[in-house]
Amino acid sequence: MSALLEMKGIVKRFNDTAVLRKVDFSVEAGEVHALMGENGAGKSTLIKILTGIYPKDGGEIFWNGQKVEINNRNDAFRLGISVIYQELSLIPTLTVMQNVMLGREETRAGIINAKTMRKRVKDLISKYGFGIKPDATVETLTIAQRQTVEILKALSEESKMIIMDEPTASLSTKESDALFKIVEQLRDDGVSVIYISHRLEEVYRLSDRLTVLRDGVREAVLTKEQIIPADVVRLMIGKELSESTASQNLRKSDAPVRLKVENLTRKGIFKNISFEVHEGEIIGVAGLVGAGRTEVMRCIYGADPYDSGKIEFEGEALPRRIVANIKKGFGFVPEDRRNQGFTPLLSIEKNVALTNYDTLASGGIVKAKKERKLGNEMVERLNIKPNNSQIPVGNLSGGNQQKAVLAKWLSRDLKILIIDEPTAGIDIGAKDEIYRILEELAANGTSVIMVSSDLQELLRVSQRIIVMRKGEIFTEFSDGRVTQEDILMAESGILTKEGQEHE
Amino acid sequence: MNKDKIKKMLGRSQRLWILVVIMLALTLLQPGVFLTVSNIRSILLSISIYGIMVCGTIFPILLGGIDLSVGAVAAAAGAFAVTRIVADDYSTTGVIIGVAGGLALGCIVGLVHGLIVTQFGVPAFLITLATQNIVYGIAQILTGNNVIPCMKPESFAFLGGGRLLGIPFSIWIMAFMAVISYLILTRTVLGRDVYAVGGNPEACRLSGVRSRLVTIIAYVASGFTAALAGIVLASMNRQAIAKAAQGYDNFVLTALVVGGASLMGGEGSVAAAIWGAFLVGVVQNGLRLMGIASDYHGIFKCIVVVAAVALDAHVRYKKSGLKKGGFFKKKAKVS
Repeated sequence: MSALLEMKGIVKRFNDTAVLRKVDFSVEAGEVHALMGENGAGKSTLIKILTGIYPKDGGEIFWNGQKVEINNRNDAFRLGISVIYQELSLIPTLTVMQNVMLGREETRAGIINAKTMRKRVKDLISKYGFGIKPDATVETLTIAQRQTVEILKALSEESKMIIMDEPTASLSTKESDALFKIVEQLRDDGVSVIYISHRLEEVYRLSDRLTVLRDGVREAVLTKEQIIPADVVRLMIGKELSESTASQNLRKSDAPVRLKVENLTRKGIFKNISFEVHEGEIIGVAGLVGAGRTEVMRCIYGADPYDSGKIEFEGEALPRRIVANIKKGFGFVPEDRRNQGFTPLLSIEKNVALTNYDTLASGGIVKAKKERKLGNEMVERLNIKPNNSQIPVGNLSGGNQQKAVLAKWLSRDLKILIIDEPTAGIDIGAKDEIYRILEELAANGTSVIMVSSDLQELLRVSQRIIVMRKGEIFTEFSDGRVTQEDILMAESGILTKEGQEHE
Repeated sequence: MNKDKIKKMLGRSQRLWILVVIMLALTLLQPGVFLTVSNIRSILLSISIYGIMVCGTIFPILLGGIDLSVGAVAAAAGAFAVTRIVADDYSTTGVIIGVAGGLALGCIVGLVHGLIVTQFGVPAFLITLATQNIVYGIAQILTGNNVIPCMKPESFAFLGGGRLLGIPFSIWIMAFMAVISYLILTRTVLGRDVYAVGGNPEACRLSGVRSRLVTIIAYVASGFTAALAGIVLASMNRQAIAKAAQGYDNFVLTALVVGGASLMGGEGSVAAAIWGAFLVGVVQNGLRLMGIASDYHGIFKCIVVVAAVALDAHVRYKKSGLKKGGFFKKKAKVS
């Protein structure tokens, strides 16, 4: 069988940083091909080149043996490549049929011919046994059902290749099972599926072949028989890692408990979350996208409501209001820096001041000199570049923006800092500085809760690691030696709860 | 010559230059008519009204909101003050109650806007458009749809007709309001919060800023200055009429947008907005002097607004670093 798609020697650079280094990738007709790799390995970049979102800096793409140039989404679409996006691209107020046929409506003399369109969509639905009605409005459907509408759309466009990027991130187990059946059906129908997921179990179950990327290089291509879970994990992480970053000795804290979360539940999002944070302790929260980590943190901070459970801070019930919690010594660095972290048009100084007007103002009048002094102090202390507190935060680089967000909180006396994906999109130099800042904070008695998807980061900074999976705490690594493999296995669901009993 | 240097110099005071060029053109086109003390004074008088309004309406604009009700609020506040004064037989108590009541009316309308925007999430555009009609109705009811003259007492007439040190008192009020507004926006926590919430409401919420309260205050400020402007206008015209400030919503928005305030929020300053008011006033005056029928003024002004907003959006788009340049694509090629 010849390959449907062949990508040869694909190269992609961003600002002189090579993200893909001569990657080969091929997919045959009618196979499910998994694309694996850690965050930043280059999976998304490869897919974006394939779908015409990014231009490639080198290499060739062949489709059915013929060389093709894919310069935009339409080129990919014309070849028959569809992507099912994590954020779905449907129009919620239209019906299933209208969404599926959007832009390709069948008309007779300019009038929409709903009858034939409905028949086409209905035929497709019954062929695959999708169990949705063509006239249902999309906003009334569940996330899983919406996903099937997207797949339906791809099928009606007679796609030959469907790319699924983390399709089960927000699905329940039952919904996932239904999706797997669809994927298998697609394959039997001769459609190729590129399947990207961090959930190793489903990858093993579904894929005919598997390509592993690491640091922009193709590490291996495995056939079904060659796929052994532990091997794949090792391939993803890389063998040559030094012991110190590959594993870490955890240490339990003897300091008094500062934050105690008990059976915290938000219906449909997470349930029965219980853990403790000690004074001066850095606790890492691991898990895959969609595991509910961010949501738990937002509820603790008071940004979102929760349904049941208790949160105690220094022995007292914690208010559910942000303003009150800030007064108690909370700090919160959100995951979505650009939309939630800072005000881009305002200077570093004014962003920092935003959380400090209790001390920087009297009677509502800002003490401008004090404000400037604090701004300069923070720029100095966190080594923010350029070294000028008057520059709008929106003009800074990612790492410096993150430092500016940190500065908002480090300028206060913090008892607890919640930090979500502290180094996402940040270069290595700035990463180290941020780790140093977190370690300093903890050394001075501040408790730090760090949500992270970066295994090296979790191991490097945390003293204890909680692993969340599908809205629950799956396990906690609290002492002894723990490796990247241990965490990856726990969060991606290779291990069952029983298998973890040795903890 | 160093072209870049000249460009830089022109760019920095770009706004002032536009005004100077327009005024120069008008002086040449209308020799002996435009650049006279009486004409300049008449320009100042007309801009003092929307100058006052701009000082408060800039608050919701900075939040990324809007207030379309300022003209109607001005009319209603003026009508309330005048009818009160007439009913109280032109006494000083009548003036005090009338003015205070008119201002309170403006604040209440603003409070309603703020509450509905923050508590129900109704877009400011919608709610203020609705209250524009409601408050205009109130003005009609208050005046019985008649012109209510009010030549007395002196204290009231002074607001819009008096002079202090040779300068119309309404200009003093505008200047005073501008200073207050400037100080609030630059020196107080409230002002900082307004810019911050306008720039990124979610980041502010997570930073513990009481963004709802800030929003409510902003709409109250807008209602207050609209009412103040309406009372000064009634005093200036020595009468109350429901249509007194018709079209002022447009003036005010034009002044703000021309003055560089972003309708997306987070950007703008009082000084630039007052400049915008000047520009609008001068352009309008010029149109009148050139004998262009007032029917055409609205058309012309709205073209100016659209041009200013389009330019603003274009510059912003270019700044954002996205590659498509829309209408100005070819010119943008170099940068």
